[in-house]
Amino acid sequence: MASNKNTSWWIVLSFLLPSLIGFLIFILAPIGMAFGISLTNFAGGPRFRFVGLGNFMQAFGSDAFRNSFRITVVFTVWTVLFQIILGMAFALILNRKVILRTFFRGTLFLPNVLSSIAVGLAFMLIFDPRRGPLNQLLQYWGIHPPLWLSGEHTALLTIIIVTVWQSFGYYMVLFLGGLQTINRSLYEAAEIDGAGAVRRFLSVTLPGLSPILFYSITIAIIRAFQVFDQVYIMTGGQLGGGPAGATSVLVFDIYRNGFAQFRFGYAAAESVVLLGVVFVITFIQYRGQTRWVTYDVV
Amino acid sequence: MMSFRVRILRWVGKLSLYASLFFTAFLILMPLIVVVSTAFKPDDQIYEFPMRIIPRTPTLDNFVKLAQNFPRYIWNSCKLTLWIVVVQLVTASTGAYAFSKLRWKGRDFLFLLYILSMMVPIQAIIIPQFLIVRHVGLYDSHWALVLTGSFTAFGTFLIKQYFMTIPDSYIEAARIDGASEYAIFLRIMIPLAKPVLATQVIFSFRYFWNDFFAPLIYLTSQHLKTLPLGMADFATETYTYVGPQMAASFISILPVMLIFLFAQRYFVEGVAAVGVKG
Repeated sequence: MASNKNTSWWIVLSFLLPSLIGFLIFILAPIGMAFGISLTNFAGGPRFRFVGLGNFMQAFGSDAFRNSFRITVVFTVWTVLFQIILGMAFALILNRKVILRTFFRGTLFLPNVLSSIAVGLAFMLIFDPRRGPLNQLLQYWGIHPPLWLSGEHTALLTIIIVTVWQSFGYYMVLFLGGLQTINRSLYEAAEIDGAGAVRRFLSVTLPGLSPILFYSITIAIIRAFQVFDQVYIMTGGQLGGGPAGATSVLVFDIYRNGFAQFRFGYAAAESVVLLGVVFVITFIQYRGQTRWVTYDVV
Repeated sequence: MMSFRVRILRWVGKLSLYASLFFTAFLILMPLIVVVSTAFKPDDQIYEFPMRIIPRTPTLDNFVKLAQNFPRYIWNSCKLTLWIVVVQLVTASTGAYAFSKLRWKGRDFLFLLYILSMMVPIQAIIIPQFLIVRHVGLYDSHWALVLTGSFTAFGTFLIKQYFMTIPDSYIEAARIDGASEYAIFLRIMIPLAKPVLATQVIFSFRYFWNDFFAPLIYLTSQHLKTLPLGMADFATETYTYVGPQMAASFISILPVMLIFLFAQRYFVEGVAAVGVKG
């Protein structure tokens, strides 16, 4: 520490206020308010009343909410699984000396920096069921082409594909960073002990990556629960949610209830459920860090 | 001497490794090539099969069709992104200084709150945040986006980590010479922290240039809309605008791609910094 005595409050506040104002008004206060509003039937007007847990009861009893929650969980499971597996696989490959390594690293990470709206529009063209290049190719090969975004059973799958396409490179970069922290001498020691490639991966790489792996899974789950842009753009905008509501994820339901129907109380209750999920995942990450993660290998 | 079988196996392994790398790179780049090539195709060539990468008769028609609304959207996006990047740079660096080089009660606790807020998705607090913004009369204005975007836990964390690597002895010496905290911050810390400030600038640029959710909530007037918002309007209208859609996508992707090409290091460093240290 720079000095032993505390800095004067005026100086501290002058440095702190620029970020603190935004934090208090637009992050912390809304978190608290979400709980409060969720207990009312607030609809934007001056007259509203306390309804207790009514919104939550209504949500858990409604098909729309249960459907949204189920879809979000399915989306989360598949995207997280593929993002982590592909991210890990390509990190391991591109951590070795391969030709064009910088090109491949850059290319695989690239979609992550692009607008999800532009990406969504591009894939709408590619997955166009009738005239899109993909289905024309499938037809040419004699394969019966799926309806992709227009199909009740394929719409969510298509969104999953696009999401994985756009973001597995992010996890690859995280894992590449993690691989740098593993002590090289551990590999040499393992090799001297006669450990094969699989054994080395299980005993050195995986334990060494465990903090990053754990962090990545946490981030990936939280991000998957936030999915919205792709659903909005690719399956029909404000009135959308896909064929037969097949892509009406949780945030989309919050958006529709809050901003199309102005049921702020009900949408706030749905937000509280989302906050609860985030809290539980973060808590597990926090506790699990100490229990399941190996730090001593680093 | 390696046996013949082992050598064959190695060779097959290497071949499949490169095959998977090139195939994946193809899958990543193909949609982007489709965007660029379709942007310059006349309507009747867009769905041709087999698809041509180089348009037979390249045209700027698709861009001309954007001329009515999109210059405004692009201008709004540029203006807003620039504002938010500057504001975030100020809030994040001053905050980082308070958390790394000043001593005060409750510092570690408040920093923990900042870090924890990184986990809270904007979508989970959008209802109350929107009500606050509407209550203070900033709904449907660019101010709504600048103010709600002013705080960045990520940026504060990123810059704080960097400030901590700058030895306290530099600052002590300046304090003994009678320099104020503001002078130390502006003349010592900021110049030393240029690389991490670049990372922060690139991160917030990328985020707000692409941001869709907050503008969707806060902007309704046609003349205030940003580029992603304008593109979304397009998509929900009808399928006949595919050419102009791709032209708009091209415009939206181009600046980020160019910056990525020349400053890939900063993008990657930002991701890795949070991952490894967080």
